[in-house]
Amino acid sequence: MDGIYRPGWVGRALGWGTALYLVLPLFIILPVSVTDQRFLSLPHEGISLRHYAALFAAPDWFASIAQSFWIACASTVLAVGTGTLFAIACWRLNRRSTELLRALMLLPLIVPSIVYAIGLYRYFGWWDLLDRFAGVVIAHGVTGIPYVVITVSTALASFDPRLEQAARGMGASLRQVLAWVILPRIMPGIVSGAIFAFIHSWDELVIVLFIASRDVFTLPRRIWDGINENQDPIMAAVAVLLIGFTTLLLVVDMALRRKRDT
Amino acid sequence: MRRGDMAARLRRDGGWWALLLPAFLLLSVFYITPILQVLAISFTEPEPGLGNYQRIATNLSVQRVIWTTLRICTITTALALMLGYGLAYAITLASEQARRWWLLCVLVPLWISVLVRAFAWVTLLRRQGLINQTLQGAGIIAEPLQLVWNEFGIIVGMVHYMVPYAVLPMLAAMREIEPRLLAAARGLGASRGQVFRQVFFPLSAPGLVAAGVLVFIFSLGFYITPAILGGGRTLMVAEWISLQILDLIRWGLGTMMATLLVVTILVTLAVFSRVVNMRRLFGGA
Amino acid sequence: MSATLGTGSLELRGLAKRYGEFVAVQGADLMIAAGSFLTLLGPSGSGKTTILMMIAGFTEPTAGRLLLGGGDITALPPEKRAFGMVFQGYALFPHMTVAENVAFPLRVRGIGRAARDTRVRATLDLVQLSGFADRRPAQLSGGQQQRVALARALVFDPALLLLDEPLSALDKKLRAELQEELRALHRRVGRTFINVTHDQEEALSLSDEVAVLNHGRIVQKGAPAMLYEHPRTRFVAGFLGKSNFLHGVVQGDGTVQCGPWRLHHAAPPAPGTAVLLSLRPEKIALGQAGDNAIEGRVLSSAYLGAGHAVVLDTPIGPIRVHQPAWRAAVDPAIGTTISMAWAADAATIVEDDDAPG
Repeated sequence: MDGIYRPGWVGRALGWGTALYLVLPLFIILPVSVTDQRFLSLPHEGISLRHYAALFAAPDWFASIAQSFWIACASTVLAVGTGTLFAIACWRLNRRSTELLRALMLLPLIVPSIVYAIGLYRYFGWWDLLDRFAGVVIAHGVTGIPYVVITVSTALASFDPRLEQAARGMGASLRQVLAWVILPRIMPGIVSGAIFAFIHSWDELVIVLFIASRDVFTLPRRIWDGINENQDPIMAAVAVLLIGFTTLLLVVDMALRRKRDT
Repeated sequence: MRRGDMAARLRRDGGWWALLLPAFLLLSVFYITPILQVLAISFTEPEPGLGNYQRIATNLSVQRVIWTTLRICTITTALALMLGYGLAYAITLASEQARRWWLLCVLVPLWISVLVRAFAWVTLLRRQGLINQTLQGAGIIAEPLQLVWNEFGIIVGMVHYMVPYAVLPMLAAMREIEPRLLAAARGLGASRGQVFRQVFFPLSAPGLVAAGVLVFIFSLGFYITPAILGGGRTLMVAEWISLQILDLIRWGLGTMMATLLVVTILVTLAVFSRVVNMRRLFGGA
Repeated sequence: MSATLGTGSLELRGLAKRYGEFVAVQGADLMIAAGSFLTLLGPSGSGKTTILMMIAGFTEPTAGRLLLGGGDITALPPEKRAFGMVFQGYALFPHMTVAENVAFPLRVRGIGRAARDTRVRATLDLVQLSGFADRRPAQLSGGQQQRVALARALVFDPALLLLDEPLSALDKKLRAELQEELRALHRRVGRTFINVTHDQEEALSLSDEVAVLNHGRIVQKGAPAMLYEHPRTRFVAGFLGKSNFLHGVVQGDGTVQCGPWRLHHAAPPAPGTAVLLSLRPEKIALGQAGDNAIEGRVLSSAYLGAGHAVVLDTPIGPIRVHQPAWRAAVDPAIGTTISMAWAADAATIVEDDDAPG
């Protein structure tokens, strides 16, 4: 709108207030994480990196980070692989039945995780997937599909369907059309979807609380225990690193979008 | 002729239909089935029948948790809409350059771990937290305030979580409002308040409704933030279900509440799908 | 190195397409000789693009058959037909260079890199784009993009080249240039070209044959000059160029009673028949004698450089006349009454279908 019409003071105050409410609590963690005290507080005498040092020296935190990372990678591959093909097929077939299927695919965004988690708790018992790497990957992968379907569908919306027709008309098979024409064009959308599916798995806690216990102990699970059981400033260090990591992924995503738009 | 057509169409599009399969199978086997099972258990355990559902009318604990959840969700939705509207309004009217920073204020909290955010609020709000220490240090209060492990704490944390979800649909609606309309209305002699009430607000109302629906249904089944900031004293539906299943092993009651939760959400969506474009809400093609 | 299918004439037999209640194309019959240049001409919504899409295989016909060299290809998917096609707006792959775009049809056929490069170079030469191989489509002008699309459609030597409004996105001057090139290209490659357009000038100047469509029906098909000189219906006469339409009744002596005048006609039907005459504005001479001579008052006159466009008021309504400037015998000043004349064979009797849209 570029300054044609400016908000009045009420609008401006409400906007600024809300932005501060959203962002400030996150910034508070930074000074807390460098406190020189043994409990969660602002630094008293000076700043100290002892809690970061403690974090990197703790093997259990490190194991959880590694485990979360590999689970997130595997479930992202699962979600991106199936979700991308699904979104492309829906876009190409484009009829009432595929619209319905697409809506169905968005269910994991709508149905609360707690409902899915208790369902899996019993269901995975039969499949012997409780407390298994594969079990968590499947659960995170399935619930990550909607993010991929949304970003890929958005990318396809600006894809000229005649390009697909042109390729077909020149004798390209379905596989060739996919690999040489469609996928290269919608790559930014796929990467966006992959980033969101990754963050989804990396942060997911509710499902993990039910279907994992000892062998699979992800980072969110360890943070959860940390918040509930002690008030160790190590938690603040973990939180700062997580905020940094997520912000980095978002900046990558934004850069990709800008590249796609130009 | 018709059958020939069908065969030809299948030959032509068969490959595309096959691409749907992996995701569809994965969803059916590992998502839909476990959830349908939850719904089924609510009718079969501990004994077949509607026994679990009769508890809604008779059991005080069930009634209390439903009432608490609805109350907190309503307050959360109202506050998130109010704050989110202000933010979306500011973003819409900002210059291109400033808009990027405003958007970052919305997107970064949206994607940062819900645990980290709840942890930040605990750090701020608890008895020895930063707010109480600051206020005591300044001599404004003598005794620490009870800011967390009650409904107040839950609502502060939940609104913080929900504002970005409120902003995005409202922003989408507001971005479609032609800015020259507002300038034109001012030029025709309307005051700032009149422009807002008679032009901007009516045009942004669909986004407001969409945001309200989204925030309300997300709030209903929210688990982590209420669990951490409620400290086990104020129970909302999700934590109550978890308690039934994990600690009390009362599957029938837990799944009944889960069913009720899903049905409430789906009915809310169905009712508002007449008013709100759901496809757009969830990123339609 | 021919395409996957045999060459030969293409035949449409009762080809029809319905979308629910809406009839896009009704029973089109058409025979297109191998190596000819046919244009499907019609206003928007006349069904011309639907016919092209059915030939390409992107749209399934509701009824009818499609034969190529006598073989039935109705059920064949587009990638098996492998006709060359230039899409409206060209549909160039934006993520590939010009050379990669042109190489695409060869790549999908598994042709090796060396053979591919040779063919791509030869085809780019053919369309005079040799120096642009490494550019991206976005870096090219409209005319250059159009040539890339042509090269891509021709590189695999298809039996049939389909062109969907290939020149509509270009400005007028460029369009004229490319029309000539397209015509030369057709002579050089000797393949069947099927073109779709709503531009009657383009249709007349490019094609060996033109099929005029209206409301999903092929109204008339023939060589451009034949269509222009002998339109079968009022729609064809009005859509291909301009025309005056005169209602009249044939008299016992073979003249046509038209308002107060008895007009001579070269081939009058039986007496008593009501007829509609189509008379081209450029076939009327001002201020001269002829088989049919009438008078009219000048309503308007526009100078167009090459000539005057004059509208005269007569008892049978306004009549348009197109007069070459060099031949102007009289000054068509507004308000003056002047005479005009035309030969007995200048007017054509046409069927009165609906007026051109």
